[in-house]
Amino acid sequence: MMASSYNAKDEDGHITMSGPGGGTLRSKKPENTAFKQQRLPAWQPILTAGTVLPAFFIIGLIFIPIGIGLYVTSNNIKEFEIDYTGVDMSSPCFNCSQNFSWNSTKPCTCTIPFYLDQPYESNVFMYYGLSNFYQNHRRYVKSRDDSQLNGDMESLTKPSKECEPYASHENKPIAPCGAIANSMFNDTLELFYNDPNGTKIQIPLTTTGIAWWTDKHVKFRNPGGNNPNLTAVFQGTTKPVNWRKPVYELDADPENNGFINEDFIVWMRTAALPTFRKLYRIIQKKNNMVPTLPRGNYTLEVVYNYPVRSFEGRKRMILSTISWMGGKNPFLGIAYITVGSVCFFLGVVLLIIHHKYGNRNNSADISN
Amino acid sequence: MTWRSPLALMRDALRGQRARDKELRNLVSNLPYEGLDKAKQPNRHFPSNAIKTTKYTLLLFIPMNLFEQFHRLANIYFVGLAILNFIPVVNAFQPEVALIPICVILSLTAMKDAWEDFRRYQSDRKLNNTPCLIYSKEKQFMERRWKDVRVGDFVKVVCNEIVPADLLLLHTSDPNSVCHIETANLDGETNLKQRTVVSGFLFEPESFTGVVVCEKPNNNLNHFKCYEKPDKERAGAGIESLLLRGCTVRNTDHAVGFVVYAHETKSMLNNNGSRYKRSKLERKLNIDVIFCVILLFAMCLVGALHFLWLQALPGIPPYLVPDSSGHLDGPSLSSFYTFFTMIILLQILIPISLYVSVELVKIGQIFFITNDTDLFDEETDSRMQCKALNITEDLGQIEYIFSDKTGTLTENKMVFRRCSIMGTEYPHKENIRLAVLGEPESEEEVIFNQRPQSLQTGWSLDAEDTTPRDTTQRRGSRHRSKVAGIAQSDVAFSSPLETEVIPDKKLLQQISRAESSSGSRKTDPYLDFFLALAICNTVVVSMATAQRRRSDNLRYEAESPDEAALVYAAKAYGFILLARTPDSVTVRLPSGEDLVFKVLDTLAFDSNRKRMSVLVQHPITKEYVLYTKGADYAIMELLGTPYAQHHLDCYAKEGLRTLCVTKKVVSAKVYESWLVDRQRALAAIDNREELIMDTAVQLETNLSLLATGIEDRLQENVPDTIMALREAGIQVWVLTGDKPETAVNIGYACRLLEEEDLLVIDGRTLTMALSPDLQERFVDLAKRCRSVLCCRVTPLQKSRVVKVIREKLKVMTLAVDGANDVNMIQAADIGIGISGQEGMQAVMASDFAISRFRHLKKLLLVHGHWCYTRLANMIIYFFYKNVAYVNLLFWYQFFCGFSGTAMIDYWLMIFFNLFFTSAPPVMFGIMDKDVSAELLLGVPELYRTGQGAYTFSTFWVSILDAFYQSLVCFFIPYLAYQDSDIDIFTFGTPLNTVSLFTILLHLSIEIKAWTVVHWVIMLGSVALYFVVTLAYSAICVTCNPPSNPYWILQSQMADPMFYLVCLISTVVALLPYTFHVMRNSIAPSPIVQARHLDRLDPSEREQWIKEWRSF
Repeated sequence: MMASSYNAKDEDGHITMSGPGGGTLRSKKPENTAFKQQRLPAWQPILTAGTVLPAFFIIGLIFIPIGIGLYVTSNNIKEFEIDYTGVDMSSPCFNCSQNFSWNSTKPCTCTIPFYLDQPYESNVFMYYGLSNFYQNHRRYVKSRDDSQLNGDMESLTKPSKECEPYASHENKPIAPCGAIANSMFNDTLELFYNDPNGTKIQIPLTTTGIAWWTDKHVKFRNPGGNNPNLTAVFQGTTKPVNWRKPVYELDADPENNGFINEDFIVWMRTAALPTFRKLYRIIQKKNNMVPTLPRGNYTLEVVYNYPVRSFEGRKRMILSTISWMGGKNPFLGIAYITVGSVCFFLGVVLLIIHHKYGNRNNSADISN
Repeated sequence: MTWRSPLALMRDALRGQRARDKELRNLVSNLPYEGLDKAKQPNRHFPSNAIKTTKYTLLLFIPMNLFEQFHRLANIYFVGLAILNFIPVVNAFQPEVALIPICVILSLTAMKDAWEDFRRYQSDRKLNNTPCLIYSKEKQFMERRWKDVRVGDFVKVVCNEIVPADLLLLHTSDPNSVCHIETANLDGETNLKQRTVVSGFLFEPESFTGVVVCEKPNNNLNHFKCYEKPDKERAGAGIESLLLRGCTVRNTDHAVGFVVYAHETKSMLNNNGSRYKRSKLERKLNIDVIFCVILLFAMCLVGALHFLWLQALPGIPPYLVPDSSGHLDGPSLSSFYTFFTMIILLQILIPISLYVSVELVKIGQIFFITNDTDLFDEETDSRMQCKALNITEDLGQIEYIFSDKTGTLTENKMVFRRCSIMGTEYPHKENIRLAVLGEPESEEEVIFNQRPQSLQTGWSLDAEDTTPRDTTQRRGSRHRSKVAGIAQSDVAFSSPLETEVIPDKKLLQQISRAESSSGSRKTDPYLDFFLALAICNTVVVSMATAQRRRSDNLRYEAESPDEAALVYAAKAYGFILLARTPDSVTVRLPSGEDLVFKVLDTLAFDSNRKRMSVLVQHPITKEYVLYTKGADYAIMELLGTPYAQHHLDCYAKEGLRTLCVTKKVVSAKVYESWLVDRQRALAAIDNREELIMDTAVQLETNLSLLATGIEDRLQENVPDTIMALREAGIQVWVLTGDKPETAVNIGYACRLLEEEDLLVIDGRTLTMALSPDLQERFVDLAKRCRSVLCCRVTPLQKSRVVKVIREKLKVMTLAVDGANDVNMIQAADIGIGISGQEGMQAVMASDFAISRFRHLKKLLLVHGHWCYTRLANMIIYFFYKNVAYVNLLFWYQFFCGFSGTAMIDYWLMIFFNLFFTSAPPVMFGIMDKDVSAELLLGVPELYRTGQGAYTFSTFWVSILDAFYQSLVCFFIPYLAYQDSDIDIFTFGTPLNTVSLFTILLHLSIEIKAWTVVHWVIMLGSVALYFVVTLAYSAICVTCNPPSNPYWILQSQMADPMFYLVCLISTVVALLPYTFHVMRNSIAPSPIVQARHLDRLDPSEREQWIKEWRSF
């Protein structure tokens, strides 16, 4: 009798009782907690027209202005692009493109005139663009030694296996090793403004500030620490086979020479897609009075070194101003406007559905 | 140890092998050889008693565990891929890095295995070092350890101790030469069983010179035979003289036995470990994995387009890298390599973590099922047990239920209700009233009832609390706690309900008349009837504990509840069973006189004969009397004249279980001749069972009848449960050994049967119906019936029925049983055992064990539904997730010349699968709750609708969705970054982020109920992504060439474009859910409607359920 009444009262408990023998006897009754009984308080959203339609309107209302903003911003970016591959017979670079060899000693030069129909006010970024160049090819991407580029002395003399077959040449380690470095873009582009009065003014191009700050200062380092004598540091290594001069002669400025040469760093950041551009130079704005690039005639002088015929590639020179959203690209603006409108439209559809069927749901009619 | 030639050693080893393999073993006492060299020990070939259940050894753990794990095809696949990655021409990643996922998976599994094995090692050690008493040369029992016990030793076991090895019982402290044991550790039965000393064996260890011949060890717990060699006729012994390892000695001060099996004991041979069943969902899952493999191959073949791309090139571009010798592979060879590279790259399309996650989810689901208080039985203090760990979701797929009756639908607590003696019916009207009135109270008054022990099959393997020391301690405290008032006892079938029999007045008068008239001869049929009730059974009268002695109530411990009921009935009429020994039965008559019957033989119950008999010699008349008791149809065929049949029919119609009791006087001559046969049968070692049965049948002829009816009450809520299961669209079949009338009555009582659509079929007809040529038509007929009732079926037929239905209709079947129908339970997809009153074999063989039939309702309708929908949704989500993510890499191949480049750092890809997106689906699989338990119980129809969560179409829809989402996640960033100066891994960052958001938001939409845990895990995953990726990008300058994502995420997060791209891609990727929304609004599925109901407050919901049910 006692037993039953005791049990009846103990609704949700584990009866714990220690016998003198030291053993504890516990009821096996599971704990009556919300978690164990799967009764945790829960939010139970149900996706119905009524519940989600505000979201659609909100998305519509936010996306359309963003899209318009993006579109306008993109449209305000000035961009000029010129293809200097020299595929056409008529092109000034046709000759250069025909007789090609990586190791030709005599540089081939061509000059391309062009006309800017509007002035470029702010800083202008000068890019070179390559198309059909698969910098993202798996074997190509791997063909580098980041330790070597980071200034590691051991990797300098013993490049990683990944660099094969561009790891050593004539029994000397290659610095920088690998296919990426070996195929570095080596055209030289120069820009001249043809003054209306006939003079040809060379536009000053800044060679620094084109690479990521972290690349220049952390990821890429010359071996030998701060030793300014790079020639001595790179003693015992050889230049990549396709290069004309060794890595320590890339630039006269010691801060832009060797592995920390910014043209080199930019090239080493392999492009994601086969058609890409890479920042080449920056044309700094001088003062507020004169536009950086006034309207008028220009000449692009190219020292044509880089072969693209083997992969039907194209080479371009691009001049572009820049905004917070980067270069010119109308896609995102259009996409935002479209998606915003679609959402708004769906919102309206859902509103109609909600009006037609919503009441039934609220009254939870389950008769089936 | 002296040196022996290797040849001799080998010869000895061979001899040992032969000795172990022989059908019969010759065992002698170790005593004369004690202290001798091992080579001279006669029993050296037999293993010692030390057990070792561990799978591995310390040194060989790694190779053995790896070997085990590589039995899984998926593991071989992933290792193969990892190895492929070591081949330079095809590798997609750093070779070592590719090993990480498979190593993580393998080491996690290895850690789990090591932990389990260590636990086993610990419990083995504890068990092996348990003290025991072995007789030694010093002429006394010395304390040794279990592991020291050898075949041929004499072992003494004292009260409440556990038997260390299989012992042939030679001596006990009991004057009647019996020893009581409890076999709870072996089969879960807590009633005491008697074992008797081998007759003819002299117990003097020193002079024990005979040879014990016994059979080869086997796992049959109910069978054993042996004899002593020089004297074959005299000393045969069977299972009744064997103390099994793992049993506990009770009520007997001490017992001494001869070790026949050490290590190869019956209990050890019964430890087969857990069975592995594969669920339906898992089978489907494996098919879909094959689809994924096909998809993977198709995608890799696209990768071989590399060939076309290469051919289109006019020259050798600088970005094509030759191999180290400067040689460039031709297009066809190169695209052949690309194919393999692509396999490596896209390998996670076959979800490596899916199997691990499924296992985790099932552990979580089992945790919740076993912790459900609704599935807990206060009375027996037992939780629901999941024995099969990997078929929880099948509970949500059941279409057919096969149920036994006795002990399943009914309590199996028998009460004596009516009887018919000499053609007169005694209805016991007072009794019926008692049952009706007393019912509410009787529930309360159950103070002593059975408490099934923890039903661990591997009692010697598992956990600490079953080790002998603990058990004895617990037992000590148990008796104390009883005083404190916890409902438990180690007595079986003796709740007051059964003792509560109010004698029928008319019958009492008859008895007193008979008593006075027949005088000392006492051969009146009325007296015989009650004597038969008191004598013809195997009920043990327990005496031991102090508490019991104090109360003048005798406690009866019976192996089956109907025996107890009959003994109590006899007691109510004054025929009190006072004591039972193997040789005698003492019965007190109403007059107060004690009669001691000499028991000549007991012909035990078996399921073929369906009856048992006791042969006694009457103390006064000296007549040999055979009392037989059994199922009515088993008795009727043996009767001289048919008799009282209409009473039996009438009992059956009331749903009573009918038993017949008969008497036969055997002449001395017949007895003598029979005894010779009997002895021969008992000593026989071949066909012993059949011979013994034959002798039993020989004697059980020409009986005269006395009859009784016993009631077996329905368990609570059975009708309600059956109704609910039927509303849930499940076909319920009842298969019972009862007669048709009883069965039909019970069928109506539990609302299984309704007027028109019923099929009742009996055993004999069933045999025909199941014959090959009629099978099809029988199944076809059964399919059309709302309910089917099979009566008078044997256990074998039950399992055949289940098998036929399961195979012909290709449906999910579930079998429930509360007793011993192991066959049926194992024939079904899911076997459920009800830990009831009778044997526990069903529970042992089952996949799930519950304590009441009504628990089935919540188990199936709620847990089954939840487990299934949760797991199904999780698996679909897993496929979706992997396809959506891998396809990003796939689309990228179109822009990298099909060269197999990954634009996402490999570590981040691994983290993505291993950490950022693995916890949410597992949590989803364990905790999601589409509809509340109340509603699932209230509207059983939801069970049916929940069964289609994982089908061919849902799988493919989700794969298509994954394709769409990956297209969006790839091409929006692609178009946004087209012709810009973006580099590979910077391009990969928004892709990775977008797919993380898409994948997690997709899951968020799938999650039906958000609890705190959900929020923490979902937000935690996003936070983890950013924290880990930012930290990784902050430190990895040269750590993982070629990607080295140094400062990439940081620079991206400083760029507004990144957020704009992520935002729009995620929105567009999830836009198709609008269709989902529209469908929910226009034509909501029952589940969605139910979820609407769930949001109402409880009282309103009740109202709706009620209204809905009234339709």
